[in-house]
Amino acid sequence: MTATAAAGVSIQHVVKRYGDTVALAGLSLQVEPGEILGVAGPNGAGKSTLIKVLAGEVRPDSGTISVRGEPWTAELGTHRIAVVHQDPQLFPNLTVAENLLAGREPSRTRRPHLQQADRDMLEETGLLRYADHVLGDLPLALQQRTEIARALVRNADVFLFDEPNSALTEDESEELFTRMHALADSGRMVVLVTHRLPELAAHADRVAVIVDGSCRTILARAELSEERLARELVVGRVAVATDVRAQRQGADVTSLLLENWTHASGAFHDIRLSLTRGEIVAVVGVEGSGGRELVRSVAHFEKASGSREPAGTADEVAFVAADRANSLFDNLSVAENLYIRQSARIRTRGGLLKRREAETLASEARRDFLVKTAALDMPIRSLSGGNQQKVAIASALALDPDLVVLEEPTRGVDVSSKAEIYRLLRAFAKRDRTVLLYCTEDSEVFDVADRAVVISRGRTVGELDCTSFTDAESLAGEIAGLTTGVVRPVARTAGGAR
Amino acid sequence: MTNSSLNEAVEVGGASPNDATMATASPRQFLKAFARVGGLMATIVLVVAVFAVASNGLIMVPDNLLGLLRYMSTIAIVGLGLTFVLIVGEIDLSFANLYGLSAMSMAVAWLDWGWPLWLAILLALAIGVAVGAFNAFFTSVVGIPSFIATLGSSTLIFGFNLLISGAQRFAPASPPAGKNVSLGEVSFFRGLSNQHLPFGIPMQVLWMILIAGIFWVVLNRSLFGFRLRAIGGNAVAARFARIPVRRYKFWAFCIAGLAAAVAGLLDFAFIGSIQPDAGQALLFPTFAAVVIGGASLQGGRGSVVGTLLGALLLAVIANGLALLAAGSFAQQMFLGVVTIGAVVLDQVTRSWRRDQ
Repeated sequence: MTATAAAGVSIQHVVKRYGDTVALAGLSLQVEPGEILGVAGPNGAGKSTLIKVLAGEVRPDSGTISVRGEPWTAELGTHRIAVVHQDPQLFPNLTVAENLLAGREPSRTRRPHLQQADRDMLEETGLLRYADHVLGDLPLALQQRTEIARALVRNADVFLFDEPNSALTEDESEELFTRMHALADSGRMVVLVTHRLPELAAHADRVAVIVDGSCRTILARAELSEERLARELVVGRVAVATDVRAQRQGADVTSLLLENWTHASGAFHDIRLSLTRGEIVAVVGVEGSGGRELVRSVAHFEKASGSREPAGTADEVAFVAADRANSLFDNLSVAENLYIRQSARIRTRGGLLKRREAETLASEARRDFLVKTAALDMPIRSLSGGNQQKVAIASALALDPDLVVLEEPTRGVDVSSKAEIYRLLRAFAKRDRTVLLYCTEDSEVFDVADRAVVISRGRTVGELDCTSFTDAESLAGEIAGLTTGVVRPVARTAGGAR
Repeated sequence: MTNSSLNEAVEVGGASPNDATMATASPRQFLKAFARVGGLMATIVLVVAVFAVASNGLIMVPDNLLGLLRYMSTIAIVGLGLTFVLIVGEIDLSFANLYGLSAMSMAVAWLDWGWPLWLAILLALAIGVAVGAFNAFFTSVVGIPSFIATLGSSTLIFGFNLLISGAQRFAPASPPAGKNVSLGEVSFFRGLSNQHLPFGIPMQVLWMILIAGIFWVVLNRSLFGFRLRAIGGNAVAARFARIPVRRYKFWAFCIAGLAAAVAGLLDFAFIGSIQPDAGQALLFPTFAAVVIGGASLQGGRGSVVGTLLGALLLAVIANGLALLAAGSFAQQMFLGVVTIGAVVLDQVTRSWRRDQ
């Protein structure tokens, strides 16, 4: 054990906290030379923090990391560890050659030139003919390849791939995986972090399942399959109170029907979606599947064409974006964040705000939506993440719209707030309203949705009645089964130069 | 401190919420708020004291104080408009030349073309709003950064100013050759700003108080002001909350344009003449006053009382240095030091407040 630990990357008991949130809770993990280690986990499990810690972007609060026996240093992080991002973190205004040279200039005064070794590297990665192209004009796949080449000329031997192919075409991702295998075969260490289970199953030698900031289990090559991974991701999660789950009830009154619904820039095609009063429907799909665009088009924030019955107006749909950075106002108080969407309803004829009514609305919302805050006039960022999310959702539900659309309503939220948010959504739906969610996590679908619409490559691949499943694991397995065979994402970049 | 000024003070604090929801302000909040406004007030007192000593008390002479207040009111009126634009998260560089253009067009229409006074004033105000709308169009419809849009429009309107004025100076007391202006109109116009109230206070100061009162109500009590702050705080969240972001930005620019036009007219009325480059010297002091007053270039922060105090500080500095005959180089250097110093101070007190 010690021998292999010295040979590879060894992560021991690493802890990282952000305020009250524990991102990494004593995570330990080994990466062996010559392997592709997959990392899977739900949103907020700590995957991206793990990458940031390895790359030196954030410092862990405690724990040790060593690479080939040497303790981790900032120097090591910069030169020996390379991160290939979903969106390459390079200089888009420089050429490919300049990107390769930046930060590695041999002379203090002279403009750097490509050395023979650099040329060989560009040749090897098939980038030589693009050497003088401005990076930002090239397709994403070539930009990522430049990121790899840049790391290779620095003699990096740990490669971290962070959702690398979520915006690549099928051919481009195939070529990326070939390159990944080549890196591993040359004795380097490769870590692949992705939401895409089929790719983990196909390419990883081992997969570490990370939940709540620690490594729950490691699946060996022989045990790897999509269904197994899907089950592992939901198993053992802290169960959310079952009273949230639906009991189908009442008459089926359609509240919205979309047919031949097609996104203006091609994220989804010919979708049929029917929503019923009183139900919670989850659109399930990985990033890039078109699911996010679909729910946003329902909320009138993305352009789509097709038939929509009833057409309705934007004001009849409330929308809550996934990221709290896109749903809350940092410069406003808790109270103001709670009533901002209703503010037009509480103005006098002269355009003044009725302050008494504003206060009443805020304290009602605080009570109804179980917001825990010392005072309503506190800055919104003084609340815990879960309570901030409750404020974001409360401000939309307090409008009492017929249809509310939420993206990943419990992303990065603690377990108890999760349960409360699900209960709030359920109570809202029970009042003959419709709730439409976009989910990337199967456990969330099981916990709160009545019906799941599974979307992949911009098309619906199936619908599941969530109430007919008795455990989250089997639902997750079913969803994984539906997406099998259509694992490739929709191309976002144009084919172009290749 | 009255209740309303306390609330305003909290507003200046930025990190603390607006008073619309504050039933009672806790002592702790009061302290935090005072850290900002109190610091600015203390600075003003200190600067006045220094100048009083250095000028042998000349700065405290009533006539001098009144002149100081009048200069302050020019910066304050233009600055209040700029405050709105900064709060909504944009920037306006055109107000200085707009101040000149609106007063100049009024002068040309009235003195040269022979328009009646009221129509000429209306024209000047309309030009203020129109240039604001022009800025807003290029910023939120065409989508170019407001820094560029207003930098461009600033030069554009200065060119326009030179065109209509023929690069000439205009004064109601000496209309262009062959033109006549009714003396009644001239004295009415001069009186708009030059008339003395009890204690010799110029009318222009009253206009500042009136305008500041209106702006305070709009910013702190109205739906408009509330949403303006929200948009400046997070434009994306505002869009998702279905707040009409473009419309609010549009009005913010128009209000800034109108404020610049009003200030231009009042100064013209007070001074009694207008030359084409009038107002250009206001660009820096106004920005300094607004930023010293706590408005953030990132948007979402800014207040009426802060801008008024910032304007007062700059007026004191300009006046004090003029009394000492320190020379324009000293004035420029002092202005630079005070601006950077005030913002550094704000950074320090802000991190201090965060730690509380």
